[in-house]
Amino acid sequence: MRARGGIIRLQMTSLWPRLEPVLPRVEKPARYIGCEDGANANIYKPDATSWLLTYPDTYEIGLPNQGLQILYELLNERPDAFAERSYAPWTDMEAQMRAADVPLFSVDTHRPANEFDIIAFNLSAELVYTNVLNCIDLAGVPVRASERRDADPLVGAGGHCAYNPEPLADFVDFFVMGDGEEVIADITEEVQEWRQSGKPKGSREAILHALALIPGVYVPAMYDVTYDNQHLLAVTPRHNDIPANISKRTIADLADWPYPRNQLVPLTEVVHDRLNVEIFRGCTRGCRFCQAGMITRPVRERPASQVREMISAGLERTGYDEVSLTSLSTADFSGIEDVVADTIDDPGTCGRVSVSLPSLRVDAFTVGVAAQVSKARRTGLTFAPEAGSWRMRQIINKLITEEDLYEAVRAAYSQGWHRVKLYFLTGLPSEMDDDTLAIADLAENCVQIGLEYTKKASVTVSLGGFVPKPHTPFQWFGQNQPEELRRKVDLLRNRLRKNKRVHLKWHSPEASTAEGITSRGDRRVGSVIEHVWREGGTFQEWSEHFNLELWKEAMDASGLDIDWYVHRHRDEGEVLPWDHIHAGLHKDFLWQDWQDALGGYGIEDCRWTPCYDCGACTEYGIEHVVASPAPPNGGSQGTGQDLATGHLVPVQLRPRAGVGGSQ
Amino acid sequence: MRLRIRFSKLGKVRFVGHRDVARIMERALRRCGIPVTYSEGFSPRLRMSFGLALPTCYESEAEYLDVPLNPDLVQDQTVFCTGWGQGEAHNPTELQDALNKALPNGFDVVALTIEPKSKGSLQEAVLSCGWSFDIVGAQTDGVQNAIETALNSSVIEVDRKKKNEIVREDIRHGIHELRLDGESERGPLVVAELSAKPRVIRPSELVDVLAPGAELGVAKRTHQWIETDGQRIEPLTPSNSITT
Repeated sequence: MRARGGIIRLQMTSLWPRLEPVLPRVEKPARYIGCEDGANANIYKPDATSWLLTYPDTYEIGLPNQGLQILYELLNERPDAFAERSYAPWTDMEAQMRAADVPLFSVDTHRPANEFDIIAFNLSAELVYTNVLNCIDLAGVPVRASERRDADPLVGAGGHCAYNPEPLADFVDFFVMGDGEEVIADITEEVQEWRQSGKPKGSREAILHALALIPGVYVPAMYDVTYDNQHLLAVTPRHNDIPANISKRTIADLADWPYPRNQLVPLTEVVHDRLNVEIFRGCTRGCRFCQAGMITRPVRERPASQVREMISAGLERTGYDEVSLTSLSTADFSGIEDVVADTIDDPGTCGRVSVSLPSLRVDAFTVGVAAQVSKARRTGLTFAPEAGSWRMRQIINKLITEEDLYEAVRAAYSQGWHRVKLYFLTGLPSEMDDDTLAIADLAENCVQIGLEYTKKASVTVSLGGFVPKPHTPFQWFGQNQPEELRRKVDLLRNRLRKNKRVHLKWHSPEASTAEGITSRGDRRVGSVIEHVWREGGTFQEWSEHFNLELWKEAMDASGLDIDWYVHRHRDEGEVLPWDHIHAGLHKDFLWQDWQDALGGYGIEDCRWTPCYDCGACTEYGIEHVVASPAPPNGGSQGTGQDLATGHLVPVQLRPRAGVGGSQ
Repeated sequence: MRLRIRFSKLGKVRFVGHRDVARIMERALRRCGIPVTYSEGFSPRLRMSFGLALPTCYESEAEYLDVPLNPDLVQDQTVFCTGWGQGEAHNPTELQDALNKALPNGFDVVALTIEPKSKGSLQEAVLSCGWSFDIVGAQTDGVQNAIETALNSSVIEVDRKKKNEIVREDIRHGIHELRLDGESERGPLVVAELSAKPRVIRPSELVDVLAPGAELGVAKRTHQWIETDGQRIEPLTPSNSITT
């Protein structure tokens, strides 16, 4: 058990003299020193609002996070703010820190976390929630928001998981919905007033109230939650001026935000250790399992010229020999081939820079792109068919045909790749064993294609257990039991056991259950997260630390039922814990899309076809920013088919009011 | 031709491991457009070789890096840079400045030469290293006495982990110099020259001899010694003052 508030508050400017002696005793000490190229070591502004941007996982995972780096730069450009960074210390470091009474610190200047006005967390995954609590506790701040004193730092959180804030509502003072670029200015201005007032007794309530009035900001303490026995009845504002619904913030044009300008270059190896340039934000392919594709709409492309400038300046400044063009579906970028070609042919790169394209849709990966990418060092290629059978892909609206996949794989092998990685989900709605086993067929057929080009051909199949996410059409779906997911994994393992060229990797079905608890949980799940954390359950994303028993115990202790939270199908009338949070999408649009999924109807990509009014644009008066009016490789669902002549499309597209061209 | 670089690694960056230092150097070389060479194969790597690896957490004023240059782009003492610095010619002083601008704080190139490639690696040529280190949790008098005792002994045995067993090993012959050099804020400061052959003897091993139970504070490598024509020399001597 952990003692609450066990860390003594320290009034020191730098903890470095106390950290230095313990660093030789921990693994990978370089992750605690900062010193990155692009970091600001002298950013202290005594009269400014200070933000500690905290990633609740290890430095190696957190440092490359683009969202955190963008906010870091934007805040440091402001005269009235500055930002430093912190990451979750690994367990050995945490033990050293607790033994020596060293609190959580910034890696920039090694100042204690509780000297900051705001500790702001990036929530990229649900299983980090126990680390959030641990970081707050290590900071010497009460983990429960209700127990914080006036002068304690404000605890904030943003990122994709913030779209269901309820499981963390007891621990976080304010959440930010959507793009952070603009809202951090509004928050800074409010907090600046508060700190100038000296944070007097009773002022915490006032600053929280003020924050709750900022569009896109959710302050859970300003809302009451009511239940009817098990079922949630409502989340209602406590004051008249507090909004009943919180709508996400969206920046209209990525061209206005060419950040990060100075990507951090770490001294020690991290994931995605390369230049990362965000080429567009948002995705409207409409994959029904994909939360990111739902909550980040509309599509906002960065102008190609700005992409080129950011690549060129970034490579020159950092010395990296690899650039990743990031987005939710990189091959969909207008003129992607030209951008890749220009990068590789840039005289500055001496032909030594490789381009990696994460999140490739198979229908947009052509021989042309493959040839360009392969000119330099070949980076790993991952395609995401997501489901093995066409029936299943119709249900999830990932409308790529087997032939699309084979063409893409052929493009890769023919251009010199020996291995491709295929990403699949299992446990999808209505999935039958034939659908699961079709994954093996696809993989084996890909190997056969590869063998036409290389004797070394192999395929890695990465299999994830499907966890339904808030704000998606699948939010009503009852997640598979871990036993069922395990059975499906075993089906594939047995089927592929003899094929040495197909390597199967799978995500722990038990971890999917814990993710399910936190993904669609309500405010009552907060006590479960706290219980797991108090029992030492940190780093739950790491298989060596994950322990489902802790979660089961915690659910029991809180009187909550895993089946009810995770494995139960919801019906249309149910109040969902995140109903008061708006990502633009109309709930009736999502419900209709869920019904369409079960009926096998597809939906088009609206960036190239007429609007079907999901709500993401119309609610906020914004639009797609897309350079090319035509989808890549033909067809708004990439099947190479002309949607105007619907009978050629191998899927029935749902006719909708006001929608043309889909009959 | 090749570049031979002597650099220092001081302050917080002492916690950066050897492999990470290699990556830091690669990025700096690329940023300067220095015409490096690459290995062949599916995944070409930038060619470079270091002197003796420095343990993580140790500082140094004497790290070495050899970087083979593209012979077409070197003429006497002038290197023609490519890439971002395309077409620019640089003499050793300019290259040193450029690298120092490209390197993170804590790393400094203190000497740089353009010289013909020689046979054998620097790593194998190093015979001994100079060290300066302090000891935490020890009395200066005690350390002074221990040094005298050690120097008067003909055998100094230490425990050494070898795979699964611990063996006793004599390191007396590997201690070329050992003396007290006052005190740091952490404790007694020791200067030593320790042999690198047949194996590298580390300051941490001496701490166990001089002050059992105490801990190594900060250790700094001050020299790497090689032998040329019977002369004990350093591969490069600093061309400017080291910033600490």
